[in-house]
Parts: sequence; structure tokens; C-alpha cells
Amino acid sequence: MTLSTLVTFNLRYYRRHSMLSLLCLMGISLGVGIVVAVQLINNSALSAFASSVDYLSGRATHSVISDYGRIEEEHFVRIWKHPGIKAASPVIQVMANTLEIAGEPVQFIGIDPFLDADFRDLGPMRRGERDLTEFLTSDVPVVYLSESLMERYGLGKGDILTVLSAGVEKKTRIAGSIPASGLSGGDTIAVLDISAAQEIFGKEGYLDRIDLIAESNTDRLLDIMPLGLHLTDSNERKSTLQGMLYSFQLNLAAMSLLALFVGTFLIYNFSMFSVLSRREDLSLLLTLGADRAGLVGAFLTESVLLGAAGSLLGIALGFLVAWFSIDRVSSTISELYFHISVESVGLTVPVVLRGIGVGFLATIVGTGLPALEVAVTPPVIGIKRQSIEDRAHGLKGLLTLAGVSLFGLALVAAWASRFSIFWGFASAFAVTFAFALFTPSILSQFTHHAGSWFKRFLGSLEAFLAARTIRASLSRTSIATAALAVALSMTIGVDTMIHGFRQSVDAWLEGSLQGDLYISPATTKWAHPLPDELIEMLRQDPRVEAVERYSTYGVRLKGKPARLRVVDGSVLKHRSRFTFLQGERSAWDKMEQGGVFISESLGYHFDLGVGDAIELATPLGKRSFPIVAMVRDYSSEQGTIQMDRQIYEEIWKDRKVQSVALFLKPGVSPDEVRRSVAQRVPGLDRTISSNTQMRSDILVIFDKTFAPTATLKGVSLLVALLGIATALTAILMERSREMTVLSYLGLTPAELGKMNVYQALVMGLVSFMISVVCGLILTYIITNAINYRSFGWSIDIHVNPWVFVKAFLLTGLACLAASIYPTYKLMRAAGVHSLEEE
Amino acid sequence: MAPIIRLENVGKCYHSGLSCEIHPLDGVSLDISFGERIVLLGKSGSGKSTFLNLVGGVDLPTTGRIFFGEREITALTQRELAEYRRKEVGFVFQSFNLFPTLTVLENVMLPLDLLGSSDERRAMDILDAVGLAGQLNKFPEQLSGGEQQRVAIARALVKGPRLILADEPTGNLDLETGEAILQVIDRISRTKDATLIMVTHSADALWLADRRFRLRAGKLVEETFSTGIVAKA
Ligand SMILES: Nc1ncnc2c1ncn2[C@@H]1O[C@H](COP(=O)(O)OP(=O)(O)O)[C@@H](O)[C@H]1O
Ligand SMILES: [Mg+2]
Repeated sequence: MTLSTLVTFNLRYYRRHSMLSLLCLMGISLGVGIVVAVQLINNSALSAFASSVDYLSGRATHSVISDYGRIEEEHFVRIWKHPGIKAASPVIQVMANTLEIAGEPVQFIGIDPFLDADFRDLGPMRRGERDLTEFLTSDVPVVYLSESLMERYGLGKGDILTVLSAGVEKKTRIAGSIPASGLSGGDTIAVLDISAAQEIFGKEGYLDRIDLIAESNTDRLLDIMPLGLHLTDSNERKSTLQGMLYSFQLNLAAMSLLALFVGTFLIYNFSMFSVLSRREDLSLLLTLGADRAGLVGAFLTESVLLGAAGSLLGIALGFLVAWFSIDRVSSTISELYFHISVESVGLTVPVVLRGIGVGFLATIVGTGLPALEVAVTPPVIGIKRQSIEDRAHGLKGLLTLAGVSLFGLALVAAWASRFSIFWGFASAFAVTFAFALFTPSILSQFTHHAGSWFKRFLGSLEAFLAARTIRASLSRTSIATAALAVALSMTIGVDTMIHGFRQSVDAWLEGSLQGDLYISPATTKWAHPLPDELIEMLRQDPRVEAVERYSTYGVRLKGKPARLRVVDGSVLKHRSRFTFLQGERSAWDKMEQGGVFISESLGYHFDLGVGDAIELATPLGKRSFPIVAMVRDYSSEQGTIQMDRQIYEEIWKDRKVQSVALFLKPGVSPDEVRRSVAQRVPGLDRTISSNTQMRSDILVIFDKTFAPTATLKGVSLLVALLGIATALTAILMERSREMTVLSYLGLTPAELGKMNVYQALVMGLVSFMISVVCGLILTYIITNAINYRSFGWSIDIHVNPWVFVKAFLLTGLACLAASIYPTYKLMRAAGVHSLEEE
Repeated sequence: MAPIIRLENVGKCYHSGLSCEIHPLDGVSLDISFGERIVLLGKSGSGKSTFLNLVGGVDLPTTGRIFFGEREITALTQRELAEYRRKEVGFVFQSFNLFPTLTVLENVMLPLDLLGSSDERRAMDILDAVGLAGQLNKFPEQLSGGEQQRVAIARALVKGPRLILADEPTGNLDLETGEAILQVIDRISRTKDATLIMVTHSADALWLADRRFRLRAGKLVEETFSTGIVAKA
């Protein structure tokens, strides 16, 4: 018998079981789809951002950046004149919102048009004298805007573009467009003269970056580099920024693998069913002279076809999902890390190959055992399914043992997470898998006892029969239950972690934000300073008891990005409740004497603590600051260093303030102060907010961060439910004889239907019970072995009963849904029954 | 005495395509009195099981009417039919059809459970009567074929049905065991006052029949020979 005969023979089987095949196919493609989607999103985010870095770097070979947050203008000339430098261009680069382009932040780039001509072909230089004159001498600063942006918002030459710097309106005039060539359509860029940019964004005298075209050997340059400045190139900048995204993307990838993992259970269940239900056929074929290798070959061919179909569908699905969610993900990345705008999702060959790869891997893992079954089935007709079930029952002890060992390994992996985050994920997967291995024993025990309870205490014969049927089909039901338990455990684990995280963030906000009013630009990452007069005005306002001034700068510590937060220690000392992880309240006094607080994440990433000193680059060269406290601070993954403003101003000679907290005198209405401030400084109504508003704004961002996680969890759950539906359908087919006997005994179709629904519910119930335990353990692992290791911040775990109630209700509803089709089929079939004797 | 089962011109046909192609029963009429024991003979495929299914309310005839006492079971709804099977009919099959997942006792309790009774005494008594008193908590697969069929008989009779329908109950057993099973069926149906309709292939069961019929070409023919010129079908 040839392979093609056998394959055709087998394909007929799929047509007969089209519904089951379809469920299985959906399982594979959902799993593959979500993996592909996450990869596409991650890749698109990285490449969009890399191309924008490349574009903005132009022909620069290197850039000078600062380790202490800014470059003083006077350094420029010295660098520019160095013989190793062919060209140099000073750059200011700031994100800001505008009135005319609402909802899309614009990247403002301040350049010197003459110096920059060697680097980029932005706006003015390409057009000749007249434009240039206007660019430099216009009464209002002029800007060049990316072409696509002007088109999208219907803007034209001569129109006004109102820039919001810390909420305050600054008028500019559009002088022309930056051609789209080389620019990704999503890039929102505005170019203006560097001095105008300095003025608008309060950076007079400072530069953000100096771009260079340097000779290839830069050794000579390093010697003349002023203290605290250093040379970098676009690749290094890209990889630094990509490094910031690493944890975020790793989390998404891990969650997507979960869906695939659950999908593998589904494939396994389906192919096992397809092998078992064809045992007779297979035995018959063997006795007719088909050789075993041929049968295994045919079966594997089948699996390959299934894997291929599932993978291709999955890739298409993944592309669609990526396409629909890229906007949301990139806006989350922009809010949390740095601005990116992703215009399109590109399906690349590596992603397609990887999609096919994981699809096949899942298929092979899922069909491996069933293929073995084909390989070893003796050619004896009439082996009962019961013997397989006996084997399953015999195996469950072994599986439990394997689960216990795996659980032990998971604990070791959790411990090893201190060396690499990889072990954290390994631990989470191992725990989940261990509980999947416990499932057969738990399910068997539960259905054995619960079956009798259902009958005795609830008087429900259907529930009793349902429990027993589950137990009788353990090989099948335990896989479906395990898959659902895996998905539910993840849901409970992640949700409990998120809840604890949110509570912790809320508590941190409550402790650190105690002002009555805040004047704070949308995001302090943009570093827009508030007008100097405003600060003076506020300090003299009789209704205000204290003003706390706050600024944050991106600095570099041992070559890695970190944030420097400048605070009024004397104000916060009495008006905040920080959570001190090391040190205590008296540390505030030490801060005023030059000590710094570090955040937990900084301490973790740089292995620092109270008693250590931190070496910071400053405009005056390297300075060492004693660490006097380690505090909870979720504001930045990279970690923060908190310094007293007096110390900062002394060394940095910078009095700019980015945000203020107002503590009002007793009895003063915050609303009234807010109104009067907004009146005196037009535009400030955009950035002045109450304490509660401020906190809830931050929590909104927090929630958005976890939106992709929720989607991925949902997909895993969906795949698991397909698993339940598959198992129910398979049970109906395998046990149709028993169903018929039941109707001979007088069960009505409705009662048979009810029994079927109960089967789904009992499996759901057991999954839920398993996932409560497994989920809580996962919470600990995610919190301590993944979150702490990747972000360096600890979270207080709060067990939220609502998470469990939600998971419980969801499981119930979902199992009901999963049982609809099988039950419908059963009840329709129950109308006509006659028991064929064998 | 009024018959307990009455068939009026019952026909059954199975469609394959549009036309009525297989005609296992064709205008069958028959009265069976309460307590009577009927043996039904016929070749394989002659419609014997179909007959039992119709009488047992599992399947509906294409034409004609069937009565159980005063009730016309061919006019009942699905629900009422299930109720009828639950209360009045005990089925015994050739291949036992016990539930492998339930113990012997649980298998036998099932019909009582369906009637809302949880009286384990009755199940134990009947298991005692079929000679399985010591095996209550075993699973079917731990029993021999003869023992399994005893459980099945116990399951059919535990609720005290007025009608027992046995479809080749000895078909899967060796001669000796089969004979023992027939003895059990005979004894218990007598003590329980049940009407018995038994389908059989073999001549060996004829001794317990009050009347016997043969199904041939859709017609029911009563055989009156006292001893067996019975086709070995
Ligand atoms: N559900 C069905 N659909 C179609 N044909 C059937 C069905 N059940 C039985 N038959 C046919 O009806 C005839 C009688 O079957 P059956 O009553 O099982 O015979 P017996 O029990 O005497 O061997 C057979 O030809 C059989 O193939
Ligand atoms: Mg038959």
C-alpha cells in the first residue's frame, strides 16, 4: 500500500470529523498567530524606531552626548575645531504637543542650518537664500514640518503651529515641509532653528547632542572630550534604547508562548483521538498487509499537513492582529519608554519562518505520542478503548511523580533567576507544567468522590454520570482540563500580580504625591521647564504654604541610562510618606547635606545600597554621593537617583523646574488656586491638576501597560476552551454507545444534554481549583523571579478575591459555551437511537 | 384479560434515499398478555431488534399503533417515552452494555436513581438473586461475561418492570453459561411477575417460551411445533 493511498484513506477521516479537525486547526492557528503577532509588533516597534534614529542621525558618524543630562554650548566650538572632526552640528531634540496637531506628539529638532547641511537634508538649506533668511529672521520662529503630517492635518505654508511647552503656548509659523523621502510616514518631525528651539523649550545655553562626522579613528577625540561627555554612535544609541524595551518585549513574547503551549495540548488531544478512534482501521490495515512504517508515515504526513495549514492560517491571523494592535502598543511604548511611531507592520521572511517553525514544533510535540501509539499498536482488532484508559489511570501516578520533580526544578529555577531572567520564565513554565501533570490524579480523585456527592447530596444523577464519564475518559478529559488549568493559572497569577502591582503603585503614589495641586507637563520625560516667573509667583502666593520643585533628567551611570530626580528635600521631609527599604526618615536630613536616595530598581541593577557611594558625572566632573536611603519608586525601570535641589543647583548651575507640587494652607480651596493660576499664565490649565487627577492619570498609564497582557491571556483562554469543546466532542463520539444505553434506560435527550453540560462544568471546576493554587504560586514567581529580576522593583502581593470570582464565573460561562455545540449534537442524535449489536 | 402489549398493523421502514427500502416489519399485529413469555426467532437482519425497540419505546414505527395496556405508546412524546422506559421496561442486551465506569452496585442502582429512589436494599437483593452478592464494588471489567450478563439482568429487573425485553442475551456466552443465564431470566421474571419478550438465535431457549414467533420478510409467524424444527439461523 502506498503512502498516498494511506493518506487519502486517512484524509477521508478528517472529512468525517470536520468539526473536530476544525477545532484543532483553530487551536494551532491561534497559538501560532499570537506568537507571530507579538514578534511582528516587537520587530516593527524596533525597526520603526531604528529607522527614525537612522534618519535623524543623517550622515553623522558619531554623536557627543552627556552623562549628566545636558551639554553646555561652549563645549561645541572646542569639539568642532578639533582636527579629527570633519563636521559638527549641535542638536536640540524635544517632544512636545501642539494645538494644531492634537493627539500626536511632535518631535522638535533644533539645528543650525549652516552647520547641519553636512548632515541632513532637512527643510531650509535645500531651498536657498530666501527660505534661509526667513528661517533665521522671522518675528515668530518658523518650522518645517514633515510632509505627511501637514497633509494629515490639512496644514499649509504660512499656517501657525502652536507649540505647548510645559503647557504654555508658543507660536511658530510653518515655513514649508520636510519631504517624505527617507522618512517613515508615521514620523512626526518639526525642524526649527536651534536658538528658537532653545528659547521655546527653555534650554538656553544648552545642547542635547552634538552630531559629528569624524575620522574613523576616534582615539584622538576621546582625549579632548570634556568631563562627563562622551562619544557614541547611532548603533550604540539604538541598542541602548532597545535594551530599555527588552523586558517589555520579553514579557509579551513569554505570554504569547503560553497560548502556543495551551494550543499544543489541543493538538495532542485531537491527534490522540484521531489515532484511537482509528485503531480498528489501523489494525485492519495492518492485517491487510500495510506495513507499520507506512502507517506511521501516513500519520505523520497528516500531522505535517495539519501543522502547515495551522501555521499558515496562524501567520495570516498574526499579521491581522499585529496590524490592528500596533497603534496601541506603540503608544504604550511611547508613554513608558521613548517616542516611537509605527506606521506599518511588515511580514518578514524570518518571522514567517519562525511562525511555521513554532507551528510545526507544536504539532510535532502534540502528535509525537499518538504517532508512537500507531507505531506500537498490535494488529489485533477489537482492542478496547478501555485498555487505553487503564493505561492512563496507571500512568497518572507516574505523571504526578514527574510533576513533583518538575515542581522541584521550578523552585531551583526560581532561585536561579538571580542569574538570568530566563530562569524566572523557566520557573513559571515549569510550575504551570507541573500542575498540568498533577491534573490526571486530581481529576480522577475529584470525579471519583464528587460523583457520589453529587448523587447523594445534590440528588443529581446527571452530575453523577458526568463525573464518572470524565473519569472514564481520563486520557482525554485530563488533557483538556490541564490545558484550561494552565490558561486559568496564568490568568489568576498575572491578574493577582497586576492587582498587587497596582495597589503598590497606588500606595507609592499616595506616599509620594501629597500636594494639593500639581503643575506638571503631560510627561516629565519631555523635560519642559516651567516659566521662571511662575515659580516665583507661586512661592509668593499667600494661599500656598509650600512649593515643592521637581525636575528629572536622563543621566548615565556606568554607561547605562538612569534618571536623576531633583527634589526639594526640605519640603518633602514633612510632606511625604516614602517607603524606605533601606534607611529611614532621618535620611531626609542627610539628603540636604549631599546624600542621595536611590530607587529599589537602581539598587538592584547597579548592586548598590545604603552605605555605598554613587559616582555621578556632573558639569564639574565626577562627583561621589553617599547613598543614604533606598526607597520604593516605580517611576522608572532604569532606576532613579534623588538629589536635593540645593545640591543640584550648586553643581549643575541649573535652576529650571519641570513640575511643582503645591501644598496649600488649611482652608484654601484647590479649585480656586487652580483657576487663578491658570488665569495668570494662559495655557497652564492644561497642566495643572489636582492630587487625585494626577494619581488617576498615572494609573491610567499603568493600566494601559497591561492591556496587551490581557489580550494575550484572553487568547490562551480561548484556545483552552477550544480544548474543552474538542474533548467533549471526542467523548461523545467515543461514548456514543453508553449514551444510547442511557436512553434505553429512560434518560430523556434533555437529561443527556444536561449530563454533557455538567461534564464541561465539572472539568471547568477542577481546572479552576487547580488554577487557584497554581495561580497563587505563579504570582509569587512572577513577582519575585520575573518582575523583580527584570525591573528591580518589589511588589506587595495582595490577594484580590474579585480576581478569583471573575475567573470562576468566566470559567463557568466559558465551559457552558464550549459545551453548546457538542450538547446540541448529542441531543439531536438522541432523538433516533437504536443500539447496534456487535 | 386485556393484553399488556398490543401491536396494530405495525410497519417499520428505513429510508435510504427517498424510498422506503428496508422493511423489517410490515403490517405486524399481535397481542401479548400480562405475564406471558414470548420468544422471537429470525435470521440476522430480519427485524427482531427493531421489533424490541418499537415495543420498548426506543424507536417509533412508520405505520400502525402500539399499546402498553391502555396507553398508546406510539402517541407519546419523547419525554413520556423516556418515562415509559424508565418505569415499565427492562432491557437486556447481547453485549451486556454495562457502564464500565460504574461499579456493579452503581450499575444496578442506576434505574432506581432514575426513578428517584436511593434504596440500595433493592439492588442488593436482586444482585443476591442473580448470585452476585459478593461483587458489589467490582467494576464490570473485573467480571466474567456470564457475571456481567447477570449484572445486566439485575439492572433490567431491579425496578420491577412489567416488561422485559431481552435481545439475544446469551449470544455472547458459551452454551453452559448461556443456559445458566436463561435459568436466571426465567426464575426472576416469574418471581417478579414480568412479561418477557426474548429474541434468540438458538433453539436452546425455546423451553421457556409460552409462545414463539418467527420474523420473516417483515411478517410475524407463530410457530406451534412443540419441539424444534427451528432453523438454525
Ligand atoms: N437505524 C437504522 N437505519 C437503517 N437501517 C436499519 C437501522 N436499524 C436497522 N436497520 C436495518 O433493518 C433491518 C433489521 O435490523 P434488525 O432489527 O437489527 O435485525 P435483527 O435484530 O433481526 O438482526 C436490517 O436490515 C438493518 O440493516
Ligand atoms: Mg438484532
